Amino acid sequence: MQLHRDRDTFEAAGVGLAVIGQGRPEHARDFIAANDVEGLRVLVDPARESYEAAGAKIATVNELLGPRVVAKGTASALRTGLFQTRTKGHPAQLGGVLIVAPDGSVPYAHLADDASDNASNDEVLRAARKAVRSA
Amino acid sequence: MPLGASTSRQHTRPPARADALADLVLHDADGKDVRLGDLWSDRPVVLAWLRHYG
Repeated sequence: MQLHRDRDTFEAAGVGLAVIGQGRPEHARDFIAANDVEGLRVLVDPARESYEAAGAKIATVNELLGPRVVAKGTASALRTGLFQTRTKGHPAQLGGVLIVAPDGSVPYAHLADDASDNASNDEVLRAARKAVRSA
Repeated sequence: MPLGASTSRQHTRPPARADALADLVLHDADGKDVRLGDLWSDRPVVLAWLRHYG
């Protein structure tokens, strides 16, 4: 999940962007510093209530560490230069992306089906621009 | 189960509406309360849930 890298593009498109992670506020501050995204709204949800409400799932071992997942994750790491470090929170909790419109509807959702399943920034941006036009 | 993984394959459940999210209050990086519904009150918002920090 690298949406925060394009936060200026999302802002220019007229949508807000918020990142939610497990852990505590100090983990969010570490994330902001490590990714150089000062000013980005980064929230923490140690109880994972929002993950549940968003419909995200808990992975099986195969969905975390199966050969296809590891191969895809390795390719992504080599491409982006980003490697997973020590995790905080529930290690099998998967994430995802929702776009929420001002009327509370959810015009776009991509929830991870395994640990390597991430929506592309371009796909989310296209959906965000469409949501702005419809709002 | 290692890593707290699920013993059976789960399915994602994307919501049609964000009503169940709206009244949740999370902390930001400064420890301040943020009600999620306030994030989309005047414009669409992209909410991205990370697997984990790190």
